[in-house]
Amino acid sequence: MVIDGLTVGRTLRPESVADLAAAIAEEKGSIVPMGSGTQMEFGNPLRAADCVVDLSRLSRITTYNPAELTIHVEAGATLGQIQSALAPNKQALPLDPWNGPSATIGGIAAANAQGPMRAIGGIRNWIIGMTVIHIDGRISKTGGRVVKNVTGYDLAKLYTGSLGTLTVITEMSFKLKAQFPKTSTAIAEFGSLSEALTVVAAIRKSPLQPIACELVGGSGTTNAVWIRFGEHPAAVAWQISQLPAAAWKVFEGDEEAAAWERLRVRYSTLGPVVVRVVGLPSEVGTIMELARPVSWIAHATSGIVLMAFDNADGVGRIRERFPAVIEKAPIEVRRRVATFGVSGTEKRLIREMKQKFDPGGRLNPGRHIDGE
Amino acid sequence: MRAEIIEKLRRVVGKNAVVADETELLVYECDALTLFKQKPDAVVFPQTTEQVSGIVKIACEYGLPFLPRGAGTGLSGGALAAEGGIIIEMQKMNRILSIDQENRIAVVQPGVVNLNITQTTAPLGMYYAPDPSSQQACTIGGNVAENAGGPHCLKYGMTTDHILAIEVVLANGEIVRLGNPAGETMGMDLVGTIVGSEGTFVIVTEITIRLLPKPQAVKTLLAAYHSVEACSQTVSDIIGAGIVPAALEFVDDKTIHAVEASVFKAGYPMDARAALLIELDGFQDGIEEMSDAISEICRKNQAYEVRVAKNDQERAKLWLGRKGAFGAMGRVSPDMIVMDAVIPRTRLPDVLAEVDRLSDLHGLAVANVFHAGDGNLHPLILFDSRYPDQVERIHKLGEAIMRVCVDAGGALSGEHGIGVEKKEFMGLIFNDTDLDVMGDVKSVFNPTAKLNPSKIFPSRHACSEIGRSSTTNTVEIGKRVEAMLLGGSRVGH
Repeated sequence: MVIDGLTVGRTLRPESVADLAAAIAEEKGSIVPMGSGTQMEFGNPLRAADCVVDLSRLSRITTYNPAELTIHVEAGATLGQIQSALAPNKQALPLDPWNGPSATIGGIAAANAQGPMRAIGGIRNWIIGMTVIHIDGRISKTGGRVVKNVTGYDLAKLYTGSLGTLTVITEMSFKLKAQFPKTSTAIAEFGSLSEALTVVAAIRKSPLQPIACELVGGSGTTNAVWIRFGEHPAAVAWQISQLPAAAWKVFEGDEEAAAWERLRVRYSTLGPVVVRVVGLPSEVGTIMELARPVSWIAHATSGIVLMAFDNADGVGRIRERFPAVIEKAPIEVRRRVATFGVSGTEKRLIREMKQKFDPGGRLNPGRHIDGE
Repeated sequence: MRAEIIEKLRRVVGKNAVVADETELLVYECDALTLFKQKPDAVVFPQTTEQVSGIVKIACEYGLPFLPRGAGTGLSGGALAAEGGIIIEMQKMNRILSIDQENRIAVVQPGVVNLNITQTTAPLGMYYAPDPSSQQACTIGGNVAENAGGPHCLKYGMTTDHILAIEVVLANGEIVRLGNPAGETMGMDLVGTIVGSEGTFVIVTEITIRLLPKPQAVKTLLAAYHSVEACSQTVSDIIGAGIVPAALEFVDDKTIHAVEASVFKAGYPMDARAALLIELDGFQDGIEEMSDAISEICRKNQAYEVRVAKNDQERAKLWLGRKGAFGAMGRVSPDMIVMDAVIPRTRLPDVLAEVDRLSDLHGLAVANVFHAGDGNLHPLILFDSRYPDQVERIHKLGEAIMRVCVDAGGALSGEHGIGVEKKEFMGLIFNDTDLDVMGDVKSVFNPTAKLNPSKIFPSRHACSEIGRSSTTNTVEIGKRVEAMLLGGSRVGH
């Protein structure tokens, strides 16, 4: 296996948390945790990859308590596997990361991976507890198994999005949501970006509360607004009826699922460089004008714009005004342009956090902190 | 405190913004957890972030402990100056700096009172969702420190789910901004790590919060039961049916009797053993059906009365009883302690039965009024501080209740925090490694441990004495709650 141009020394496939902890305690070189490998183009270039820890066999659903709306899983469980376990009870984990149902839940957390339903939150909002393994093999936990909890520091927040550079996430507990009683998606196409932005602005100022609202466009395609509602059927119908005037096509059931799958595939074809730029929802138009991407998918009601470029030359200019993360890029681009663009005191805090958790710099070395 | 230090502090914040008089300092010897007391050496009232930074630098220079304080409504001793030192009182940093209607966010200073945000944004059709019971007094900075909850967190999440960005003063006095208005993690989620750190990581000086559009429709129901089990089962059935009410609150008979005898009289049924206060909100379309479905679940579980508030006035009255419950306890007992614990919600019936048994065993009455929807218990231990043996017994009973909740798979706190109150219980939940890791994270932010020391982590020695004649006094608490609730214009959301 080759990751970021480095040939992996060896791969561990532990079957239990205890085995993994023992193996990590033994290991002297660098350790690279890995789930399904759907996010390997995210993050600063790895410096070393002596030992890959493949978590795919740590994939048990350890406890599912439908009456509590909670589930406890090992980190190698895939999102699809979890949703399948929940579906018979009409429950769900309301996550739809672009990398799809084959992504492992630990990987989704480590990369803080998101999709259209970012409009109602990310994985951080659903985690209630975590067990992790430290670089010296110690096992620790944070949070618990109840849905509301302020006992001790909320370190699950710290581990989420830290790209496996602080600890190896091995078990996670989630609160769940009842499946939406009904969902509907309306899609309309517009002749120009400004028309689409006007409609998005009207939606933002309206009482409508979409669970996803995407602005999709780019070279060779029209500008489309995708909006999805999930509620009591009467409330979904009312919201659809209140959409600003446009040629909306409404999708439900299998057609709706197929439409979102098409958008997911479209995301996977974005590139070679994908940058996530963040501003106020009302600044989406400004961001587009500043960055002039080749194509894009914007979480329009959240102010998050995913932009595809041929290269990363414009990232510096974007970062002068808006925070921007390189979400996907070939290794040679990531060697030249930092992934997160974090600087100053914030960067110092992150560096000190890394130093505290992994003084030898052996856990996913190079991945997280820009330029180090 | 040395005159030289006081003089330096005055140079930072102004002559009248430093309290060092021994008598005046008594006001700050505790927060709303009055069983623990420790007088600070000085209390300073900054008005700007730079002043906070200046104060912190002076504290660092002299090696003094320091900590932030909001309205002092916290129930776990988070704002107790456990080792003395400087309290940085944030109440004068109380401006709402901006409200962005289009993007539904607001930028506020930490001393802004929680309810003021909702009141100020209401004319724009928005509100701030987390609503701790003390929302008429508690500050948003304190909410961020404690990751505060409230009845409506069942549907809308805790404080942490509504904080997008913060400006903070680090323990060395440095000022840094973290997060962004989309609430998007770019790198490491330091904002999420800081929220709920109980004022032991940083001092938050500015907060960007998410506002929500006011729901189109609200339905409030009261369901009365002759048995606690049936009442608890209703909670499980509602959750199990996939309905997420905006709030799902439990009140027992002791609470009902106290409330009905007080100025918070809400018309709760006096013959009920327990009752649920259920609120639904959302779109007009569909809410009747959901309300009917909930009534049906209540009746199926032998609710002998299900009442739906017909208008805002009736709704406000039902909520007045719930929110005034702590204050009404003076009718039942001279003193009380509010506890906070979480259990898996399906364990409500057996845990409540066990709490009853323990209450009998220790000879102290316990009233129950709590956030049933998320299993967040608030046993109120009623006692009389004139009898020292009762004070002794509340600690034993409190610990016993904690153990029951932990054994049921629960947690030590759902919203009040650990502070000094529960730090000795942390070992019930976390092992040494868990606590070491938390300590490591704390040391990154707070390397000298001078920022809000002696909190959260267990120690072998208690940091303060138990005050006998403290304001666990229910009459005093009643007066405060009364001023808060009846003095305010609106109760409920």
